Amino acid sequence: MQSESPKEISDYYKHLSLFWTDIIHLMSSKPQALASIGPMRAFAANSKKISTEMIEINEIMMEFNQHLGEYYKQLTETWTTAQKKVNLKAPEVPQDIEQIEAFKRIWIDIFDNDFTELFDSEKFGENYGKLVSKELELTKHWNNITNVILQSVNLPSKEEIDEVYKEIHSLKKRVGKLELQLKKKELKKNTK
Amino acid sequence: MLISYALINRFHILDIHPEKSWVRNLLEQGFDVYMLDWGTPTSMDKYLDFDDYVNGYLDTYVEYVKNESSNDKITLQGYCTGATIATAYTSLHPESVKNYIATAPVIDGWRDTTVISNLAKHMDVDKMVQIIGNMPPEFMYYCFSVLKPFEQGIEKYVNFFKNIDNKRFVDNFLRVEKWLGDTPPIPGELFRQWIKDIYQDNLLIQNKMYIEGEHVDLKKIDMPIFTQVAVGDHLVSPECSMPLHYAIGSEDKTLRMYPTGHVGMIASGLSQKKVLPELGEWLAERS
Repeated sequence: MQSESPKEISDYYKHLSLFWTDIIHLMSSKPQALASIGPMRAFAANSKKISTEMIEINEIMMEFNQHLGEYYKQLTETWTTAQKKVNLKAPEVPQDIEQIEAFKRIWIDIFDNDFTELFDSEKFGENYGKLVSKELELTKHWNNITNVILQSVNLPSKEEIDEVYKEIHSLKKRVGKLELQLKKKELKKNTK
Repeated sequence: MLISYALINRFHILDIHPEKSWVRNLLEQGFDVYMLDWGTPTSMDKYLDFDDYVNGYLDTYVEYVKNESSNDKITLQGYCTGATIATAYTSLHPESVKNYIATAPVIDGWRDTTVISNLAKHMDVDKMVQIIGNMPPEFMYYCFSVLKPFEQGIEKYVNFFKNIDNKRFVDNFLRVEKWLGDTPPIPGELFRQWIKDIYQDNLLIQNKMYIEGEHVDLKKIDMPIFTQVAVGDHLVSPECSMPLHYAIGSEDKTLRMYPTGHVGMIASGLSQKKVLPELGEWLAERS
């Protein structure tokens, strides 16, 4: 194992994990093993899905951390540059009763300008977009795992609930438009 | 007059303090004012889209106000993102709008120079809506926190503690803070269309936007229109709002620029002394 690359190690654990979940799945499928209507059987039957999701979460976590690292790198670099600018300006601040206030104003102005420039930049927008995207993928896999658990207790999945929401929305829209049309017709009638 | 408030935070900023109230000022000038509360979308509302807001909610409210005031047409005001909805409405239902007031409208996403626009352009909005549904308030708080982070995150609170003995200051500060911390989620489908059609593809100003198959043609906005823009607006830059003035079909159009910010334009001393009197004068001539 020591001489193998991280990719090979990752694949090794991936296959090992899937092998055991396959075994558990096969064992739980035996009618004598568990009651066919109990939650454990339904859960075990889908446990391979959970393993696959966990492996994918692991891979996405690596990419997420990469973008998170870049995010903090951008913030740190901007902070350092802004602080250098403040240090250069600091000797110009008159030493009087207003000194602290004047220094604070310079500090805030320079930091706001530099950070706004960063947040406005292509490199920040691109990395931030990818960071959010990876976070969403993590959420998606978490949702998929939750769906396995929900199905094991005969509850609807997120997709099934979304279908119901979509149908309700469509019905409400149709009823709303018909009501509005009726009201407009009634108003026209009354004004005549 | 019906006010179509933004989708972010709540409408009561327009009546947040008796001395800074947009609504009170207009009432004192003799105008009847109605305000629209978009409510709080739940997970069930994730499929609400532009059509629901423009041809559903706003159209229903306009009909209500027309009925209440016994008028065929009303004056419509839109603020920020509420102005985008009101602009689309005015284009699709010009027969119901007598005058249109666009206050810091979000119109030209490509010209917008704010941080919000940069974040929006790089957003995988399809993935976002598919996975999380409605846009959570926490995500919007993050977007706002990167706007002038040190002025808003430090200086504002330093000032608060400096004025902690000033009852009037603390009262005003807490009213605005409470308002800032209260924003509803944005329905997923509406958010998707918003980011794509306004910020990423910029369809509205190019006259290429469609709502449920209906063309949102800005040339159809031919009634008197008053556009208000804040020079120091860091949420909706003047470059994003001003193109509306040049794109519409109306011949009676006025563009005013004010030396203030996004919220300063609607709830400040300047709005009471300058913005509202000018609006009232313009409106009185056309009412």
